[in-house]
Amino acid sequence: MTSEAKPLPIVEVLNLRKKYGTIQALKGISFSIGKGEIVGFLGPNGAGKSTTLRILSGLIPADSGEAKVCGVDLAEEEGEVRRHIGYLAENNPLPEDLRVVEYLNFRAKLKGLAGSRKRERIRIVLDICDLERKVSERKIGNLSKGFRQRVGIADSLLAEPRLVILDEPTIGLDPRQSAITRKMMERLRGEVSFLLSSHILSEVEACCDRMIILSHGQIVAEGTLLDLQKEFINSAVFEIVAFGNRIELQRVIRKIDETCELIQDDPVEVTGKRRFTFSTERGTDVAETILKRLLEVDAFRISEFQITRPDLETIFLRATKKNWEDQDFLGRNKKRPKVLGEKNK
Amino acid sequence: MREYLVILRAELFGLFISPATYVASFYFLSLLAIGFRFFIESFATTDWILPPLASLVTGLVFGAPALIPFLTMRSFAEERRLGTLETLMSAPIGSLSLVLGKWSASYLFFLLICGCAFCFPFLLLLMFPDQGETLGFTNLEQWAGGWLFLMAFGASFSAVGIFASSVTRNQMVAGMLSFTLLTLYLSIMAFSLGETPPTESIDNFSDFWDASLGSFADGLHKLQHFAVGLIDLATILHQLILGFFFLSLATLQVERLNH
Repeated sequence: MTSEAKPLPIVEVLNLRKKYGTIQALKGISFSIGKGEIVGFLGPNGAGKSTTLRILSGLIPADSGEAKVCGVDLAEEEGEVRRHIGYLAENNPLPEDLRVVEYLNFRAKLKGLAGSRKRERIRIVLDICDLERKVSERKIGNLSKGFRQRVGIADSLLAEPRLVILDEPTIGLDPRQSAITRKMMERLRGEVSFLLSSHILSEVEACCDRMIILSHGQIVAEGTLLDLQKEFINSAVFEIVAFGNRIELQRVIRKIDETCELIQDDPVEVTGKRRFTFSTERGTDVAETILKRLLEVDAFRISEFQITRPDLETIFLRATKKNWEDQDFLGRNKKRPKVLGEKNK
Repeated sequence: MREYLVILRAELFGLFISPATYVASFYFLSLLAIGFRFFIESFATTDWILPPLASLVTGLVFGAPALIPFLTMRSFAEERRLGTLETLMSAPIGSLSLVLGKWSASYLFFLLICGCAFCFPFLLLLMFPDQGETLGFTNLEQWAGGWLFLMAFGASFSAVGIFASSVTRNQMVAGMLSFTLLTLYLSIMAFSLGETPPTESIDNFSDFWDASLGSFADGLHKLQHFAVGLIDLATILHQLILGFFFLSLATLQVERLNH
């Protein structure tokens, strides 16, 4: 009997630590990224996202811990890792006085591309990033933010990297430009692994296979959106638009599920209907049972029933809330303030 | 090596397309040409110990503190201001290749300007062969000696400029720092200019080393050796040590910026 060999992860991080002066930026984080995965790196400002990305790009060393990118140990071959990855720095600084094609040409040469392969790769990345001929001949300093961002992404894809690290790739972009960036990642899904940090949660939700939420240098949540929903949001929320008495409605629902609570009651314009929002700790299955029961009661005349899933923003806030409350601004555990008159034990 | 050549080409391209470089080069060469003309005219009536070609070399060396900052101040300071140093370092390139690439570009440009300045006596020789011969412009050893002297000083001066550029984000501060360092260095060396060089015997490596380090104190009088085609290795070594020292500092600074 033969067992199928599991492919090696593109990124393997184990107990990574980094300190800037007195501030502990990373407190021993561990995670891995598989081939072709798109992973979103989330966290509040100062959580350690950019530090992690810069370490994985071989730009700065970690204080301790292990990190392997494309099988290359960062502690031993810091420079070698840059041959396997593409990196888009936060704010995407670019030389203003070069034309797009001149810049890509320069970067391609730096990355060891030459001759026909260099020309071919430049053509491909211009196509992937939708930088048509007119734009490619313009000076970078004259481009809009969206186009500059695309130039940065084109650069990161030049040397056919196995991993592309994007630090806030869509910051300051309009929805159309953000959609183009997402489309680009979709196009390369499965071939290239992406690790991207972003504050735009809806975007991460839309394009990432998995999310890692970082807070105060620690991973506070990790998994697919469904995993995170299960982990952080125990209660299911459902909305009912109906006629009828609120107390009667509550009584019928409570008979089926005692944990169900009415959390909102709003009128629906001038129709006389009301929108009731309920929360239950017994999950979405019980909500369906409730719907069946309510449909049997003619007085309610149900016109809408909707189970609402918690979005990534809710999960993000829940995941980072506890960690945020426990830490001071230097990332240290807060000491409980002594109450006046409290005696030392 | 590949990365070094790519950086060198890009930096040279940057220098060639920068208007500031052309403006600085034009004024520098114009002032040098005026100075050279007056020197040549007054040569017959003054008691100069150096041949006329050496005066041009002296002009280039003493003018370097004004020229070198224009060639080097942009290299790292501008990258740091724009943040492109991080983007540059995200490519597979080492700090040493980066520093050497930028230094080589400014050094080559400096030599190019020196080459243009050397066209003054060359044109004089072509247009007025008799006068040129009287002024010693037909002595090849004077040309070679002067050129080697400029190469040695240009290498160390460019290294000082690159170092100054690596310590700040502000081009003006970088320019002023390199101007100050180079002026200070030349001021110390200039005390000995014109004095009769002491007789030295270099019998072993230790003497050679002492002479190399000692050339800081009595440095510029060695131009008298170079001016007549005598190559003083101690002076060249001294300049190379100085260049190596400042390039090492610049490399360490770039490494430090990444950590």
